[in-house]
Amino acid sequence: MVMALAPEIVLLAAAGAAMLVHLGRKHGGGRAAGFVALAGVAAAGLALAVAPRPAGGLFAGSFLPDAFAVYFKAVILIGGFLAIALSFRYFRHEGPEPGEAYYLILLAAVGMLFAVSAGDLITAYVAFETFAIPSYILTGFCRRDRRSPEAAVKYFFLGTLSSGVMLLGMALVFGLSGETNFAAAARILGGANEPLALTGMILFFAGLFFKLSLVPFHMWAPDVYEGAPVPIAVFLSTAPKAATFALLIRVAAGLFGRFEPQWTSIFGVLALATMFWGNLAALLQDNIKRMMAYSSIAHAGYIAVGLAAWGEPARTAVMFYLFVYVFMNAGAFGLILLWTKGPGFGEEVADLRGLVRSSPLAAASLVVILLSLTGIPPTAGFMGKYFLFQAAVGRKLYGLALAGALNSAISLFYYFRVGRAAFLEEPPPGEGRPPGSSRRPSPAVVALLSLCALALLVLGILPHLIADWAAAAR
Amino acid sequence: MPYLTLITFFPLAGIFVLLAIPRGRGKAVKVAANVVTGLEFVATLLLLPGFDPGTAEMQFVERASWIKSAGIQYLLGIDGISLLLVLLTSLLTFLATLSSWKAVTHRLKEYYVFLLLLEVGMVGVFVSLDLILFYVFWEVMLVPMYFLIGVWGGERKLYAAIKFFLYTLFGSVMMLIGILVVHGHYGTFDWTAMTGAGTFLPAALQTWVFLAFFLGFAIKVPMFPFHTWLPDAHVEAPTAGSVILAGVLLKMGTYGFVRFSLPLFPQASRKFVPLMVVLALVAIIYGALVSLMQKDMKKLIAYSSVSHMGFVMLGLFALTPMAMKGAVLQMVNHGISTGALFLIVGVLYERRHTRLIADFGGLSSRMPVYAAVFLIMAMSSIGLPGLNGFIGEFMILMGVFPVNWVWTAVAGLGVILGAAYMLWLYQRAMFGPLNNPANAPLPDLSAREFLTFLPLIALAFWIGLFPKPFLAVIDKPVEKIIRVVRPETVPPALPQAPPAEVR
Repeated sequence: MVMALAPEIVLLAAAGAAMLVHLGRKHGGGRAAGFVALAGVAAAGLALAVAPRPAGGLFAGSFLPDAFAVYFKAVILIGGFLAIALSFRYFRHEGPEPGEAYYLILLAAVGMLFAVSAGDLITAYVAFETFAIPSYILTGFCRRDRRSPEAAVKYFFLGTLSSGVMLLGMALVFGLSGETNFAAAARILGGANEPLALTGMILFFAGLFFKLSLVPFHMWAPDVYEGAPVPIAVFLSTAPKAATFALLIRVAAGLFGRFEPQWTSIFGVLALATMFWGNLAALLQDNIKRMMAYSSIAHAGYIAVGLAAWGEPARTAVMFYLFVYVFMNAGAFGLILLWTKGPGFGEEVADLRGLVRSSPLAAASLVVILLSLTGIPPTAGFMGKYFLFQAAVGRKLYGLALAGALNSAISLFYYFRVGRAAFLEEPPPGEGRPPGSSRRPSPAVVALLSLCALALLVLGILPHLIADWAAAAR
Repeated sequence: MPYLTLITFFPLAGIFVLLAIPRGRGKAVKVAANVVTGLEFVATLLLLPGFDPGTAEMQFVERASWIKSAGIQYLLGIDGISLLLVLLTSLLTFLATLSSWKAVTHRLKEYYVFLLLLEVGMVGVFVSLDLILFYVFWEVMLVPMYFLIGVWGGERKLYAAIKFFLYTLFGSVMMLIGILVVHGHYGTFDWTAMTGAGTFLPAALQTWVFLAFFLGFAIKVPMFPFHTWLPDAHVEAPTAGSVILAGVLLKMGTYGFVRFSLPLFPQASRKFVPLMVVLALVAIIYGALVSLMQKDMKKLIAYSSVSHMGFVMLGLFALTPMAMKGAVLQMVNHGISTGALFLIVGVLYERRHTRLIADFGGLSSRMPVYAAVFLIMAMSSIGLPGLNGFIGEFMILMGVFPVNWVWTAVAGLGVILGAAYMLWLYQRAMFGPLNNPANAPLPDLSAREFLTFLPLIALAFWIGLFPKPFLAVIDKPVEKIIRVVRPETVPPALPQAPPAEVR
């Protein structure tokens, strides 16, 4: 029975080991902790593949290690892996390497693994907080940059507020049903207590919407992603979103299953607002991190289209999109780490000028990643959008599908400002760059970017490799 | 043998060859690119012996499951219409590659890689019969074109590149939603299954889906209110890019109407005839008038494309066999003559780095061969009898006449205006005294340059004098489309038999 918890236990053990390694060594402990963390994520992935999946779950159904959870755990581990790998590059330059960043990532990941398996209110809340708290700390890790601690404080205050709202929603659900288990509570909700149950649902969802940065719960995202260290922004924009969407799907389809007409319309409205707001605001940004922050808001909006068109195809579409999204986002944030600029990394779009000259491979990968973000074939991003819009059209939500399509076209404009800088523009000759800058792209980052690009191309041409898995994972 | 797969992806294989050539070997890159596009042209010619012009059915069909869970197939096939366009594509890409030999001097490898990638997309569009596969190729082609304009273009290249990309992407995403709705009705993306089903979308839905496809195709054609990207893209693109843009990319729009809009949404197509015809007529007259005003040669030819593509659209939406055959043939003709005209301007630009008409004059005395080539192609564009443009325009006008003589009259006015701007351009550039001393030392066409024009000249005369083989392959497919869209063939108001075929 404990074996079903193997991935979580392995990851937790790795976090402990990384901490011991970090504290036990006088020099280079941070880096060593990083390697332990990376190995831990890989081992957890392995454990995930072999762990048994008892029907009915563990602990009276409060922990559900089903195929659905396994799928999302894989997505979370991939996000964590990419974030840790990018951290090596980031902290080597930013130094001194804080080892605690690595095990905080692992601890957050443990929380997320629990969250996607949550089968009752208590597990959900505890898991949610377990990954929220390390996220606040991780955001503030760039001590040199004043934006970083500021973002952490902002994230913390808004985050705890939203957790509180969520808890209130949970309390209402418990108060109405007298049950904490999703399935058991779902049988009692509705009927005479419908207005209160709906209130509980909306409050519960509000907490999740905050994590997903759906408009109008997105205020924190641009500041946090801009302020957080790049690898942490990668982590925060991918893994928690996958975990929260998984939890949202479980709660919406399981706990609040009978309110489907209500919540699909809520998601429809949020999807519209989020797509347009995210894309239009991104048009105005010059800072890649901030642009990508708005872009990930917009992508949450695309995914919300799938929830608004809920059904079998939509479920697969949402799951496929989240998988692809990890690679796109990690790749897009990773771009920043190619070159150093002074004590940090160049975050402006203009800093990428002339990339094609110093590394054609990196520039080619960049184009694939941008195409995928825009949703242009033959990349996985296109297939993701295709599945989502297909689901929307299947539900006769033509307006939502059209809005999504229109937004892809809008997003091209800002994504290709990055492509334009890398391919079509040259840095003005003799431009003074601060000391410590290097225009030699890091080979490790180039390798990671091309890996992401390759994954996006392969999944763009053979999407069923993952889509069939997602469809079967329930 | 999967022959269509081979010709679609052969340029892709060529890309890998190019990438394998070490840095600094510019000449090897050029040679390899020319060999690849040359072989591709030969390969497409080899389709001819196995092609049966006597049927409207798709030939060389290849079918494989691609994304099973979504019902998306890898489905290729060609009929006479796509055959002509595939041949046009491979020929123009080859000539564009050849013409770039000296014109492109920096970032060679990237340039040819993008050119080959473009060819994959273009051929793919014309051979794919699964709507999603079609869409994938349709979009794939945008990226290399964006870079061709953006890297090797003129002064305002960045603006022109993103404008081209945004406009066309906007149209195509709307089309994507249309495709999804069509799928919702038929339960398949398979074009052959849709056209064979014998049922159509409900009339109300057809209207909307027609409009969604219309946005995708009309922006590409480009039809009148959507044409503003075209002058920018054509003028800023490098010569090869303009040739391919005008020669092939615009045809993808009209091809879309022929292949998808007309046979899949016949009721909506009939309903929108007045709108389409009015837009086409406006494009004919407006394009010609704006051409008259241009000071830049390339811009003049770009606007003349708006006018010529208006003819094609008029021919398609007259919905008579004669006009539609003329329109399909005119798609090829426009590729030949406008492609050649862009090459002709490119020759001058390479020598003088200006395209302003006022900078030239009296060139015919210095460059007699060039002048002759220019004259032939200008005449072909005007539609002089004996050359290709005449056959297409004449068939369109003839096919339109029984439907509505006013349309014919307005379009006829466009022909006259077309002669005016083209002849005036020729007169200002080639005749008169050689006033500008900078033009005095201009060399005539080199052998390589002449070689690029030779196939186009030959085709112009061939189609002009003996169009039968070209009309023969499009005969059956066009009739099949007309049978779907307008079974009565000619409108009941004028029940006389269609006029005899032009031979």
